[in-house]
Amino acid sequence: MTPDEVAAAAAVRRWFTSPALQGAPPEDKQRRLVLLADFCRHTGQSPDELVHGCLRTTKAGDTAISAKRRKAMNATIDQFVAARGLDGRDAVVTGNTLRSFLVHNGIFIQGRPWRG
Amino acid sequence: MEFKQVLGNRRSIRYFEPDRPVEKEKIQVILEAANRASRSGNIDYWKALVVYRDELSPELIDQMRVPTTTLDLDLAPVYIFWFADMSYADPANFQKNLKELVGVGALNPTHGWSDAYVDDVVIGTVIKPLLSDTQTVAWMGTLETGLAICQAMLAGVDEGLGVCLHAYNAEPVKAAFGIPDHWVPCWVLLVGYPAEDPQTGGQRPRRSISTCAYLNNLDTPWPEDPATTERLKREGLIQDPVDVPRRMDEVRGLAQRFGLPE
Repeated sequence: MTPDEVAAAAAVRRWFTSPALQGAPPEDKQRRLVLLADFCRHTGQSPDELVHGCLRTTKAGDTAISAKRRKAMNATIDQFVAARGLDGRDAVVTGNTLRSFLVHNGIFIQGRPWRG
Repeated sequence: MEFKQVLGNRRSIRYFEPDRPVEKEKIQVILEAANRASRSGNIDYWKALVVYRDELSPELIDQMRVPTTTLDLDLAPVYIFWFADMSYADPANFQKNLKELVGVGALNPTHGWSDAYVDDVVIGTVIKPLLSDTQTVAWMGTLETGLAICQAMLAGVDEGLGVCLHAYNAEPVKAAFGIPDHWVPCWVLLVGYPAEDPQTGGQRPRRSISTCAYLNNLDTPWPEDPATTERLKREGLIQDPVDVPRRMDEVRGLAQRFGLPE
């Protein structure tokens, strides 16, 4: 997917309406779109599919987060970051930028902090 | 710090200085505060295992993580695992400790207490039936441990530390440290110097006490005295609510410092 295609996804529009990103500079948003587009290519999934892939429907019909798929998503993010040859702070920030996309789409997911 | 200020200053700290060591003497203060907590029958319900994060293997920390307690384990330098020790539920413990309280004048004839009452009546007709009910045993053990944890948290605040109670995956901890099965895991208290300013975070929203407390009957909410409320504000127990824009700036700064999602 191209960054433009990624930008059109509902999940990405939702991400960009979050308080922290609403007023973000265009170059920051573009950097995020490029990163997410790369991640989509890496996984072969659209942004919306990434979000829905972390969810499951309970027997009662409620939406829940799949613990197994969230764990897999965290591992996929780490693999993606490693494949880009990133380490240190860049690795942490890149992974957590992708997690930010998921978080603002209702996926409770935590990464690691950069401790310097 | 004044007592009311300590009560007012406590809030759940979720951003710690990850590499600032916490002095063992401050941990001792926390544990001693727990040890001073009210406890029925003067029984030692609580057990605590203090672990410095960097003494743990990364594998064990990973195993402890649950969805809501992941990042926090990386940021907090000290973990205090609290347990309710269910071995308390032996009538002999109560018999010994109640008589000790009689002996030191804490439980007195003025209120009907005597060694004979403990030996002849209390153990057989009160303690044994109480301890034969597993639900009551569990309730008492965890409730009394909670009282100790509460005092521990407040002592931590008084020592200038940040504290926050968390859920965690207890099984790997039990296995790693040989925790006996009769120690029931309660919470893990994460401790460290706050990387966030507790004042910026403000006190968490609370409903007024009249929504939770009543006077003489359940039709009469506790009548709050505005003068007392004002005094508690002056003394720091009631503090200003969060200034949201300022707090969001702080969170943004912390997110950038630690490379976290925004």
